[in-house]
Amino acid sequence: MENNKFMNFLESFLLPIADKLNNNRYLTSLRDGFMIALPLIIFGSIFVVIANLPFLDKVISAEALAAYQNALGPASAATLSLMGLFVIVGIGYKLTEHYKGEAIYGGVIALASVLIMTPQVLDGVSGVIPTASLGAQGMFLGIFTAFISAELYRFFVKKEWTIKMPPGVPSAVAKSFSALVPVTLTLTAFLIIRILFSYTTFETVQNFIYTVIQGPLTVLGSGLPATIVAVLLIQVFWFFGLHGQIIVNSVFDPIWYTLNEQNLAAFQAGTELPNIITKQFIDSFLVGMGGSGMTLAVIILIFIIGKSRQLKELAKLGTPSGIFNVNEPIIFGLPIILNPLVVIPWLIAPVVVTLTTYFAMATGLVPPPAGIIVPWTTPPILNGFLATGNAWQGGVLQAFNLFVVMIIWWPFLRIMDKKYYETEQIEK
Amino acid sequence: MEELQMKNILLACSAGMSTSLLVGKMKEVAQAKGIEVNIWAVSQDKAMKEIENADVLLIGPQMRFLKKKFSKVAEEVGIPLEVIDTMAYGRLDGEAVLNRALELIGN
Repeated sequence: MENNKFMNFLESFLLPIADKLNNNRYLTSLRDGFMIALPLIIFGSIFVVIANLPFLDKVISAEALAAYQNALGPASAATLSLMGLFVIVGIGYKLTEHYKGEAIYGGVIALASVLIMTPQVLDGVSGVIPTASLGAQGMFLGIFTAFISAELYRFFVKKEWTIKMPPGVPSAVAKSFSALVPVTLTLTAFLIIRILFSYTTFETVQNFIYTVIQGPLTVLGSGLPATIVAVLLIQVFWFFGLHGQIIVNSVFDPIWYTLNEQNLAAFQAGTELPNIITKQFIDSFLVGMGGSGMTLAVIILIFIIGKSRQLKELAKLGTPSGIFNVNEPIIFGLPIILNPLVVIPWLIAPVVVTLTTYFAMATGLVPPPAGIIVPWTTPPILNGFLATGNAWQGGVLQAFNLFVVMIIWWPFLRIMDKKYYETEQIEK
Repeated sequence: MEELQMKNILLACSAGMSTSLLVGKMKEVAQAKGIEVNIWAVSQDKAMKEIENADVLLIGPQMRFLKKKFSKVAEEVGIPLEVIDTMAYGRLDGEAVLNRALELIGN
């Protein structure tokens, strides 16, 4: 009874948090903006994988390999490496859509605002846009700019500082004019910001954001403690039946994706990968093994030790989707939610797996994720192989982790199974 | 003569993945019973657009914090909405969810 009260208290505490985070217009447009960019990012990722197929260097000559990789290069260079660009348009679009404005204008204004603040000079050559500033490096500036530009645009539209066309003018013409003033004012604001920054020691807005916000945040996010906190939060939310990733990712994604892209750049340059914790570290090695909480291990374990009809039925029901990392049947059917019997393995297993994965990568046993975004529905083993840039060790690590999770769950699942089995016998 | 209208049931969750599992089961039941329904699942950011075509909106229990936000729009459109029962969701009990959806439309 006491237990129940405590659970109710926690739930009444977590639900409003989930509600706040998920209904915050900035966080939702951030998340949905990333969603817009995702298909492009995955397209680029697929070609990184194809360009770096294992053993290819042993089959064809070095020149042929270089030509092959050069031919495929633009696929990722135009998408994955410019990820920030699409995220910016996506956020501007989604936030403006939220305000029921002309969403596409929100998207392109965000883009133009970022470009206005981007130094258009590289190694003394002017008239070029450094792609680095549109990738990971420009991620945070892009996010803030998209927020602010969409807000400004909305503000100016709302003020009705627009040019009104007399009736009889085609609506498309009227629309392009009605957008003119808000667009001009918004972009002018960013031009002023750029000019103001050129008088500071930072010189560019990029430098300012990078030094003051992005740098420190990504360092924090690449560490083990912050990751464990994030993982535990995901698990706690799910324990109360709330979608943990969607809540936690909306805060962590900008950091994880930035770390991811740093690794991708290093992977493609053939240098040492700077980060262990990345988006893919979380997605492939923690969440992407049957779904949040690595419940594919639970399914396998039921097939091995399960006696009760109820669990066996559930495992059968959960297997097809579990292989593709969708695990709601297990979470709600086992049930995992609000079940005191499984709270320990549910919270402990992901933390242990975070540690095993981290140390396997830190010691060099397994290469860290290469920055390739593998669709989260990719089945485990294959998933780990692809995420680590076609390294078999990645697949082996996932198999090892699944085994670890099974060991942690084993005593608890046995108790549960026994309970169900006994009830079933009595019912008979 | 009463005109038979196709009932439209919309389900929403984070990416429309797990609800689509349920959609499959619901369609099976509907077909077996000869009920004419149109059931589909979408991700939460698409739900607001699709709601116009729905007679009822059901939300996956893991996304129940969306209820408040969705309620406003559902009210505007004039359709009922409910969070799917967690047990029915876990068991992918298409029959229970379908019955509940039809009940909500009927009221």
